[in-house]
Amino acid sequence: MYSGSYDDYEGSYDRGGYNEYDYEPHSGDPQADLEYDHRMHSGYARIPDTVKNFLGFLCNAINEGQLFEIQNLYENTFPKLTEQFYDKTPWPEEAEVRQVVGEDQLFLILYKELYFRHLYARCPNNLNLQARYNSFNNYCDLLNCILGADRPVNLVLPDQWLWELIDEFIYQFQSFSQYRARLAKRSREEIEETTSSKNYKIWNVLCMLNALHSLVDKSNIKKQLEVYASGGDPDSVAGEFGRHSLYKMLGYFSLVALLRLHSLLGDYYQAIKVLENIEIHKKSQYSHIPACQISTSYYVGFAYMMMRRYSDAIRTFSSILLYIQRTKQLFQSRTYQNDQINKQTEQMYHLLAICLVLHPQCIDDSIQQHLREKNYHEKMFKMQCGDLSEFEACFQFACPKFLLAHPPSLTGNTPAEADYMKDATKHQTEVFMDEVIQQKMLPTIRSYLKLYTTLPLYKLATFMNPSSQTTEKDCAALRTHLLCFKHKMKNVVWTKGTSGLEGSFQSGSELDFYIDHDMIHIADTKVANRYGDFFIRKILKFEELNHKLHSIKL
Amino acid sequence: MVESMRQTVAAFLQGVDRYNPNNIRDLENYVILQSQENAYDLEANLAVLKLYQFNDNYKIDITCQVLLKALTNLPHTDFILCKCLLNHEKCNESPIKEIINLADLLESCEFQLFWQLLQDRKMQELCSRIVGFQDSIRKFVCHVVGITFQTIQKSLLTQLLGGVDDNTLKHWVQKYGWKEIEDDMIFIANQDENIKTKNITEKIDFDSVAGIMASCT
Repeated sequence: MYSGSYDDYEGSYDRGGYNEYDYEPHSGDPQADLEYDHRMHSGYARIPDTVKNFLGFLCNAINEGQLFEIQNLYENTFPKLTEQFYDKTPWPEEAEVRQVVGEDQLFLILYKELYFRHLYARCPNNLNLQARYNSFNNYCDLLNCILGADRPVNLVLPDQWLWELIDEFIYQFQSFSQYRARLAKRSREEIEETTSSKNYKIWNVLCMLNALHSLVDKSNIKKQLEVYASGGDPDSVAGEFGRHSLYKMLGYFSLVALLRLHSLLGDYYQAIKVLENIEIHKKSQYSHIPACQISTSYYVGFAYMMMRRYSDAIRTFSSILLYIQRTKQLFQSRTYQNDQINKQTEQMYHLLAICLVLHPQCIDDSIQQHLREKNYHEKMFKMQCGDLSEFEACFQFACPKFLLAHPPSLTGNTPAEADYMKDATKHQTEVFMDEVIQQKMLPTIRSYLKLYTTLPLYKLATFMNPSSQTTEKDCAALRTHLLCFKHKMKNVVWTKGTSGLEGSFQSGSELDFYIDHDMIHIADTKVANRYGDFFIRKILKFEELNHKLHSIKL
Repeated sequence: MVESMRQTVAAFLQGVDRYNPNNIRDLENYVILQSQENAYDLEANLAVLKLYQFNDNYKIDITCQVLLKALTNLPHTDFILCKCLLNHEKCNESPIKEIINLADLLESCEFQLFWQLLQDRKMQELCSRIVGFQDSIRKFVCHVVGITFQTIQKSLLTQLLGGVDDNTLKHWVQKYGWKEIEDDMIFIANQDENIKTKNITEKIDFDSVAGIMASCT
């Protein structure tokens, strides 16, 4: 389903993700193409009985609001059947499904959402422009259905499904933006098709924002969170719609989606701001979907890192990585989520490594150990030595796939190899690397300062430039670096309150200093060895051994 | 004037209306007003850049003012936030490119070089439109000096502040509660009170080991 689609996506182009234009009579007329597709499929696809039964059960369960039944069908049966019958082929078309379940508008919309999600993940060959449009329109139908009603729609879906629905909505937007941006591989008609005014709204960033904001507003989720954060009962302000689980959770997930969307556009301020009143490290009634928690922390941590709030970034990453370490077994059974979660976990370890190089500080032992075991230390060592390409490589591996907010202008003289998508990532990388370059001297200075409690300025200047006679100019340059050191290590750190943007200036890094006359006075953080964990582990081992010995029968 | 504007703008920045291109004129005027009246509203300024991003047309003049205003709010990282909303081409366009260069110097604490570059006629013209620009930068300089030094040479401080005259220097020293002492030095603060070696030792409370102790019988 969803998993791995980030990676598959790029590859699928080369495997001919849309090359059907080369051998299919593409008319350019959406309606005709749609019919053509129908004929193609109904020709050979007959729905197996197990699948028919599944569709019937699911439709029934949804209509009767049997949450556990829906959950089971969605989380277990659907992936199983996908593997069995539709591993690399699409699920049955809407028309065929209609014959099975009858004219059930809402169910068909939900079914199509699953259908397209599967298409994106497993059937890149069938994912043509029209399919992308149809999927978008299906989302619009769903939103109209949910948001347009006078009373809350009588529908319950598992939160897992709701999260994946919203997550997929953003993913497909991201995917479309990439698709549109890869101009070089598009035919002229296709380019015109994507930029024509009638299709302008499809997968348009303003539509996305509008949709998500509408879900947020309809559910009153912001007010609910505010009341919840201050200890009150969110239902008291939720209103008719917001009390309904469907709206409440869609509202909450839309906030996370906005966090992601703003991040992809490089707007880190709005990204953090949209999560006001959500304390992401606290367990709450909204925080029971692991994939959502992990995604939230990834984007929040990333935004903090870009804002040079390293302490906050490190806190965010450590906390979620610890959670992942502890609950690892939970994700293993559901493989379709696993890939996504594992990828994001690895990305977060990279980001954490970067943050720890720029802002060394104590972190939890088990995270430290993971960094050591998985060879992050080598990367960190290179970065500490000022290897800029290592910084860049880590950043580009770990950053989200950034987006351009508007379609590239097509004035006719576009270079053939134009790939506008990379521009967005390139720009964010540049901004980050500018910061790294400004801080380039700091690790070296830190490594010297660590050895002393006091150190004369001129002596450090000599260390920095051992080959030549130390001059007043060297001292002046060093003084600048020292000022820079202090400036960069004093950052806003969140302390309390409901907004992640707030905080106070703190020097959270492990090494600090001040200059008196021409003497540097250094304050380090000394961490004593920890024995508690060691002894507890030994005690448990001993217990186990003892237990075994007792159970041996002679 | 700025205050009433701040409220109007804050109101429509709440919801989807922040992306409404019809608001751009108001927001741009607000930027100009901030420059003239030495006020500052990061969120509104980011909204302008975001609208430029979405609509792919932008006024370089306004963008420059937003960027320079962001510099006045150092040590906060507003400038980075603004930069992230531009793109590669814009960053290389003059005079945005030069402003980024200025930011680079400030972020690296190359204050003397910064003041030198500010002498450039074009730069002077740009910055003169931001009321209180130089003093805002001096505030940032004082912030960095304040956290770094226990005592600093008077001559060095003068340079860092952009070669100010004696009276101006006295003004800044007084403002931050610093003191002129012998040997042409300035006493900043007793840093050893804030900057101390920390020892982190393991503390194990009884509750966290009670369970395991109970089982060891």
